[in-house]
Amino acid sequence: MAKISELLANLEMDQLMEAVQNELDNGTDPLEILKEGEAGMIKVGELFSSGEYFVSDLMMSGEMFKEVGEMLEPHLAGKTNEVLAKVVLGTVEGDIHDIGKDLVYIMLKSGGFDVIDVGVDAKPEAFVTALKESGATILALSCLLTTCYDSILNTVKAVEAAGLRDQVKIVIGGGPTDESVVKYTGADAVGDDAQSAVRLCKEML
Amino acid sequence: MASKLYEERSQKIKDTVNFKNERVTTCFMGQAAPAAHMNVKMKDFAMNSDIMIKTTLDYINEIDAITSVDCLNIGVNGMRSDHSLPMAWLSKIKMPGRELPDDSLWQVVETNVLTPEDYDVIIEQGFETVFNRIFPTLVDMNEFQESIAYQQKNGQNNVELFINSDLPVVNSGFASPPFEVLCGGRSMSQFFMDCYKIPDKIEKAIEVMLPGSIQSMLSSINPLCGRGAWVGGWRGASALVSPKIWNRLVWPGMKAMGLALIETDNIATFHLDQCWDRDIERFLEIPEKKSIINTDGMTDLRKARKILGEHVAIMGDVPAPLLATGTTQEVKDYVTKLIDDIGPKGLFITAGCDAPANTKFENMVAMFQAANDWK
Repeated sequence: MAKISELLANLEMDQLMEAVQNELDNGTDPLEILKEGEAGMIKVGELFSSGEYFVSDLMMSGEMFKEVGEMLEPHLAGKTNEVLAKVVLGTVEGDIHDIGKDLVYIMLKSGGFDVIDVGVDAKPEAFVTALKESGATILALSCLLTTCYDSILNTVKAVEAAGLRDQVKIVIGGGPTDESVVKYTGADAVGDDAQSAVRLCKEML
Repeated sequence: MASKLYEERSQKIKDTVNFKNERVTTCFMGQAAPAAHMNVKMKDFAMNSDIMIKTTLDYINEIDAITSVDCLNIGVNGMRSDHSLPMAWLSKIKMPGRELPDDSLWQVVETNVLTPEDYDVIIEQGFETVFNRIFPTLVDMNEFQESIAYQQKNGQNNVELFINSDLPVVNSGFASPPFEVLCGGRSMSQFFMDCYKIPDKIEKAIEVMLPGSIQSMLSSINPLCGRGAWVGGWRGASALVSPKIWNRLVWPGMKAMGLALIETDNIATFHLDQCWDRDIERFLEIPEKKSIINTDGMTDLRKARKILGEHVAIMGDVPAPLLATGTTQEVKDYVTKLIDDIGPKGLFITAGCDAPANTKFENMVAMFQAANDWK
């Protein structure tokens, strides 16, 4: 079984899918196979943090993890993994970029979070509604345009106005975001990349 | 007839690339920055070539009256982004006042308009076949033809407007290496997957595309408006792709395009978004004192200077968030420290990548003042 995590961490796509099929054929619990996939993704995250892997590697591993998930889905029959926490994720109003957001989505999912993706160009109300409906305790906002700093600010204000600010931690990320933007918008923290988003969310539990 | 100041500033560009400049060179870069300060709606600025040119010129002249702006990074020819960028990235552009609110910035819509089968078509029939099929789906061709006609009618006059304002330009050309074109057309995530799954095919497609990319880059240069061109490094950044992909699919194209510029006596400006620390020493492969690395605040310029010495000039790199939200003192401190650390020789001070649309005017001025006042 360790082979699955290794194959995923080594980005061996074809061999990974073959190994997953073999485990299923041998009657291995699909939830255990999924956990192995998650272990592989954790290893990928470590390699990224240590500078051995790059964004393209994260994307490739994300794609592989997704395909493993799709392969296992018919066999899971409602079984679910333990969820660390719920996260509402989206790109803020006025910004239609989705690549960074989608990468954070897959890294958070494989890191054990239940992620509610509200999409791109999302209005503050959309984030608030998702927080209320899901009971999520973390809000992750993606922003690729400096002209959308005010959209982050308005979303933070909307969360405050909804009376949720005390229960919800807010992390931001995307090319032009840094500590000065955290200060400007009243968010709680900024992540440099998709892997640091996972680390930050875990720290906020 | 160009003024003495224009000639002096033009010479300063050459001297800076050649590390003969005594003082740091100030360089304007902010394609969307002028609109808000000049009270022009982004919709009008982005969609009307004459308004774009006049607004930009007035904005730079206002700065230049306060503190010297020695040059522009790239010429402003009034070409609309929804007509120019699809050629570079094979992507549709959403524009203010059309698909976006009036004061929104134009944005790239990244969808996979290029199919995996298109790699074969490129290899067998050439890139033009694919380009000619896709391009009309990305732009309004009637508007595009009008844009070209505008350039033919007004291009020279617009160049002279900048010359008459004593504002020389470093780069009049703009080139997107094949890796970037394919990445834009396939969308980043799909293309990166392709780079792992079918690298041989992509390498072959890039080889087929490269001569056309070089030819198109060289023909985009207007010697009266800057003897240089950008070679774009966006999705091919070291921070984004693995060394295996970078060495095989990114760098060969960028290097070939840079060398083609230098062989034709043009400046090669490698416009580098994101962090390029991992591969920065590879720019030593470019002939010395003929090129510029134009970075966005994410590449470590102290390290770059240490490794590259006086081989490659540096153009950078005041970060966009600082220009948008920082104080004038913070901007001045950033610029002063950068010059303190890497020295004025071979250095153009400019906004990292591109000054954003919400750049505070006082910060733009502070950036240039700090550079001009540095002793």
